[in-house]
Amino acid sequence: MHLNAVDPNAGRAEAAAGAGEHAVSRRSFLRAAGFAFAGAAVAGCDRALTHRIVPTLDQPEGLTPGRALHYASTCGGCTAGCGIVAKTRDGRPIKLEGNRDHPVSRGGLCAVGQAMVLSLYDSQRLDHPTAGRERSSWADVDRTITQKLARIREERGAVRILSCSITSPTTRAVIERFLGSFADGRLVEVDALSASAILDAHLRTHGVRALPRYHFERAELIVSFDADFLGTWISPVEFTAGWRAGRVLDNHPHRMSTVVQVESRLSLTGAKADERIPVRPDEIAGLVGGLAGLVGARAGRRIVTGAPEADATLGDLADRLWRARGRALVVSGTNDAGVQAAINAVNEALGAYGTTLDIEEPSYQRRGDDSEVADLVGQMRAGRIAALLVHGCNPVYELPDALGFAEALEKVPLSVGFADRLDETTSLTSYDCPDHHPLESWDDAEPVAGVLTVTQPTVRPLRGTRALRESLTAWTGAGERRTDRDILRAHWRDHLFPRQSAHPTFDGFWDETVRQGFAVLAAERALRAFDSSREIPSPAARVGSGMALVLYPTVAMHAGQHAHSPWLHELPDPITKVVWDNYASLAPVTARSRGIEQGDIVKVTVGERRIELPAHIQPGQHPEVVAIPLGYGRMGTDRFAGIGPEWLQGRPTVERGQTVGTRAAGLAVLRDGAVQLPDVEVEVAKTRRRVNLACTQDHHQIEEPKEIGGERRPVVQELGFAAFEAGERPESHEEELRSLWPEDHPMRGHHWGMVVDLSACTGCSACVIGCQAENNVPVVGKDEVARHREMHWMRIDRYYADEAGRIETLMQPLMCQHCENAPCETVCPVLATVHSSEGLNQQVYNRCVGTRYCANNCPFKTRRFNWFDYRHEDRMENMVLNPEVTIRTRGVMEKCSMCVQRIQEAKHEARRLGTKITDGEVETACQESCPSRAIAFGDLNDPDSEVSRLRRDPRNYRALEEIEVRPSVSYLALVRPGSRGGRHG
Amino acid sequence: MADRTELYDRDESFAVNGRPDRPGRGAHHGSGHGSHLAPFRVPFIDGDKTLAQVTDEVCAPLERKSTLAWKATFAVAFTAMAIGVACVAYQIATGIGTWGLNRTVGWAFDITNFVFWIGIGHAGTLISAILFLFRQRWRTSINRAAEAMTIFAVICAGLFPIIHMGRPWLAYWMLPYPNSRGSLWVNFRSPLLWDVFAISTYFLISLVFWYLGLVPDLATARDRAKSPLRRRLYAIFSLGWNGSTRTWTRYETVYLLLAGLATPLVLSVHTIVSFDFATSVIPGWHTTIFPPYFVAGAVFSGFAMVLTLMIIARKTLRFEEYITVRHIEAMCKIIIVTGGCVALAYGTEFFTAWYSANGYERFVFLNRAMGPFKWAYWTMVGCNVLVPQLLWSKKVRTNVALVFVLSLLINVGMWFERFVIIVTSLSRDYLPSSWSGYSPTLIEIGTLLGSFGLFFTLFLLFCRALPVIAIGEVKGVLGYARGARKGAGQ
Repeated sequence: MHLNAVDPNAGRAEAAAGAGEHAVSRRSFLRAAGFAFAGAAVAGCDRALTHRIVPTLDQPEGLTPGRALHYASTCGGCTAGCGIVAKTRDGRPIKLEGNRDHPVSRGGLCAVGQAMVLSLYDSQRLDHPTAGRERSSWADVDRTITQKLARIREERGAVRILSCSITSPTTRAVIERFLGSFADGRLVEVDALSASAILDAHLRTHGVRALPRYHFERAELIVSFDADFLGTWISPVEFTAGWRAGRVLDNHPHRMSTVVQVESRLSLTGAKADERIPVRPDEIAGLVGGLAGLVGARAGRRIVTGAPEADATLGDLADRLWRARGRALVVSGTNDAGVQAAINAVNEALGAYGTTLDIEEPSYQRRGDDSEVADLVGQMRAGRIAALLVHGCNPVYELPDALGFAEALEKVPLSVGFADRLDETTSLTSYDCPDHHPLESWDDAEPVAGVLTVTQPTVRPLRGTRALRESLTAWTGAGERRTDRDILRAHWRDHLFPRQSAHPTFDGFWDETVRQGFAVLAAERALRAFDSSREIPSPAARVGSGMALVLYPTVAMHAGQHAHSPWLHELPDPITKVVWDNYASLAPVTARSRGIEQGDIVKVTVGERRIELPAHIQPGQHPEVVAIPLGYGRMGTDRFAGIGPEWLQGRPTVERGQTVGTRAAGLAVLRDGAVQLPDVEVEVAKTRRRVNLACTQDHHQIEEPKEIGGERRPVVQELGFAAFEAGERPESHEEELRSLWPEDHPMRGHHWGMVVDLSACTGCSACVIGCQAENNVPVVGKDEVARHREMHWMRIDRYYADEAGRIETLMQPLMCQHCENAPCETVCPVLATVHSSEGLNQQVYNRCVGTRYCANNCPFKTRRFNWFDYRHEDRMENMVLNPEVTIRTRGVMEKCSMCVQRIQEAKHEARRLGTKITDGEVETACQESCPSRAIAFGDLNDPDSEVSRLRRDPRNYRALEEIEVRPSVSYLALVRPGSRGGRHG
Repeated sequence: MADRTELYDRDESFAVNGRPDRPGRGAHHGSGHGSHLAPFRVPFIDGDKTLAQVTDEVCAPLERKSTLAWKATFAVAFTAMAIGVACVAYQIATGIGTWGLNRTVGWAFDITNFVFWIGIGHAGTLISAILFLFRQRWRTSINRAAEAMTIFAVICAGLFPIIHMGRPWLAYWMLPYPNSRGSLWVNFRSPLLWDVFAISTYFLISLVFWYLGLVPDLATARDRAKSPLRRRLYAIFSLGWNGSTRTWTRYETVYLLLAGLATPLVLSVHTIVSFDFATSVIPGWHTTIFPPYFVAGAVFSGFAMVLTLMIIARKTLRFEEYITVRHIEAMCKIIIVTGGCVALAYGTEFFTAWYSANGYERFVFLNRAMGPFKWAYWTMVGCNVLVPQLLWSKKVRTNVALVFVLSLLINVGMWFERFVIIVTSLSRDYLPSSWSGYSPTLIEIGTLLGSFGLFFTLFLLFCRALPVIAIGEVKGVLGYARGARKGAGQ
């Protein structure tokens, strides 16, 4: 907001002054007239001030320019319903943080959640509804849709809403009301990452089609059959927090849960698991059956019928589970109701119901029913559906090709989508009525029974979108129009307010709920006993031969919902470290036997379907498995063609007209009423073509190459739990390296430091995106990453260690270590990187001339150079930039600043209030987002601070201690459970 | 005019022959002008030249029209330079990203070229200053060209630290000039800053030394110049040289002093350049052997480059009788010595890595020999250790064509030495997660080509504009090993 330079009053003032002297000469009159005329002319062609400006005199209460406001809300990234706090500055959200008090997510926020703030500013979101792919207006679509729906009402036609799991009670009520106005209206829920079988199994065993709530925090032994609960399964932030609570090593008594992961690919959970058993995907049914038999035998009753013979490993597992009964949990990600029923039987026998999982206060995070979807498609194909409304999902992309959804959709006379852009589905529907982004809309959710969360808008809608509930209300009956907030409040007043007793008035209850983002209400606890009268047949082992296909969601893309987020595309996959592409993962031995190398395009033939994609060699994967990430090949992703710098030898991230990656969702099949992996033999054939997969890591082992030394680098130190309990400590050079020199930096005030707990870190990479959002880290595109020029200030190093033939995965988050003897500082010729009096290694961008000497001399290689001027042309997208952090220009070095802007803000606030900064007041972006609270930050000079306490932890060590750079960041050694002793590192 | 030349020649010959304490091999026999030399000595200059003949022949390339060979070579060199200029312009306009560098390998071709050219720049001052002080009088035929080579090589070298910056337009921030930015100053702890001082000092001293040596010859050129413009230009730069004894005496004194001043610089420059690496924490860089190792390497590569240039010059400028096979042989011997130093350094590095029991150190050297850049390492060893061994044979040393090829190979080897040190050490340092490869882009290759283009463009212009051989100094050794024979004949 700025005023014009020419003041129209200037002329008048002068004229008045002249008049006062009674001496208006011809000249002064003409001059005054000229001024006045010019002023009027300028005012006439002024383009500013057409809307009302808010001078500070009328400053809205509580709004100070430059000060951030925080709004509690709910993440809309998936259906898990994590609590967020949206940080807004000058009316625009710039950063999402986890809501520490939230009963589901407990303060963490995953990478996808962090990236939601970017999708808000996606300039390709629709600005208007569409009719037949053409631009339309809300009035027009409302009129025609209302007319068509009215005819359907008359003709008693069938109306279906196909939606992702709806956790919002208000939306359910609105949908019910809408569908209730038709003779045949039904809501069909579908999840792109379906957990349909778990619900079906509980219908079978407990008489209720519901998803239990898993309490990993109560489990000491977790056996997971292909459930990537730390990465992508159902509610990973919630489960990570739970898993983390089961491992306490910094407080006595120590607690150490054990995870046994039975899986076919290497998942994030598998990487963190304490024991890992690689199997073919079709072996799992047999293993679950065998385990059920063995657990039943220990329980002294037959819990499944026809259990197959089991081997010693399974026997041992059953023994351990039985010993840990009441504190054990068995989960499975398999979408096979037979397997899930056997899992239920095992959990029942182990006394897990009521302790480590809860079906009486269930979760609503997945409600989809695959068999209903199949029925719906059948009805559509038969022409029995008059209107189909598609919300929150993209069935043409997400559902198996064999279902034939796209063809069936053509038979539906009226189809309406609510997607924010024309995607695979909405480009085929008759209308698209784009819904708001979650950050600009009102909403509510009940992710788990009794926890009601509110989503409040943090910004006025940026595009011409409209909330789903408003649209449905407008189309229900007499076209009544109510705002979304009114709809929401009305539902809460009528249905949820009565469920609580703390607040006497609704407004008080509402305000308090909106303020803290959630309300915990008494859940309708229903006693749901295990129905032991029904026999559960042991799942049949149908182990095929040859290669088996595994399709899996990635941490960044899930099932493809986030394929328009450049941050997530450039997030290195926690396991493969590949960006901007999906691939066919093959075990090293499989690839070698077929002569396939990393990046070779392979042809994967599954029955009659065939896709081509580059090969990726994945250690730890079962040799008879080809694993393909879902979520790629989304329509419209060629928008990223020019995302990187364009120069002579630069290559586009994606070719025009192509997509980022290849769609694999179509390869799944519908079997036994659930979307499952095909059980046919898969052929993998090498082609002559190859591409360069952009991977941020070249060397994947913690050991040096075998032919050149082969020694293990001591950067990640590891201890067995038994050895740790027996007093073993990580290697330390602290004593032998006592310096003769006086302290270079006395640091008498604060000394900021960080401790990263490697036992807690799962490698989920939420911190990477959190850092990117906070610090305006640019996206550089595939080619630049392939050239090893990614800009992330924070990275997670993933190493494989060869432990007696088994692959062990090590994760190490790495940011600038803020060394006290920083090698970067001495070498900069212009003092562009210097040490602060508070222990921070500071980079002075405007002094940097870009010699890159500092980066060369950094033993941790955490410095990032601006090789080009990275794009900041999308004005809409630029609104996501944090105004507290400078955008770096070409030719300067940058790196982690330990969120110095947050430290400064806290210091200013403390000075203003005349207080001291308390421990925990400053949180870095990475620390804040971490679902497993692996990062602690604070003042090392304060002996009572969390970070000082962890520094004194016996597991504490500093990376590369032996070269005496004295990092301010230290690590707590990775402790693995079990008796496996010995120190590594 | 003819008079002046004659007078000058006479003066000069007087000066040369009459220098009272001119150092010479024969001087230990007492006074006299080489008349008591041992009979086995061979003269430095072939062809029984008279003093006037020397002047005529050395000045000939300045005075005749340029030959087709010169024109063709110049066209090639200029084109290469133009390519380089285009590449650098594109890089400065677009970003360092147009090079193949990455987050791990922050320096590659840029600093390799820099150290390579600085190394080349060593031979000139070594020949003119150190060999002068050690009274190696055979240096007179090659010192002028070698010094010119030094100047041009340092110009080429000096470009790289500037263009390798992310923001080269701020290069002046490297200088400790008084500024209005409060207490903002340069970082005197940074080896890059030491480089700034070391190289600028070296360049200045070399330039002054070279220019001072040129003054008498500029006067000769002035006196012989036919066109008024040429005469005027040479007159300006010859600083009113009149060839008097007093002038010569002062000249000799200043020359000696400058030689003394330049000598430590020969050692210091590459020592300081080596500090760029030696003071870092990167295994393979952090090595105390670097200063002597770099100096030896620099002399080694410098002499190889002098050989390359002199062999071309003697052929194209018809200076075979001035730059004789014996000169070439002498340079070959220096190459054997310095090549030996370099080979010893390679071996010592491996020994130290093993003996230190430092895992990172041991790895980085094994990685050089066996890692992904082993081809570069073995190219380096082949060119720098094996190739000079051929020079033990006199047959090889006197085979000019073969020596030319070997000198080129040594140049290649020394370029790879710097590449190996810089790139292999950076590419695999402490954290295996950050290990990375490196491959140059077209822009980087073009820039390297351009630096050669600049170097040869300058050298070819030098050949046409200035006496390539120090006339005055050559005349001083003209009598060497000839007086005895002449005396015997008289």
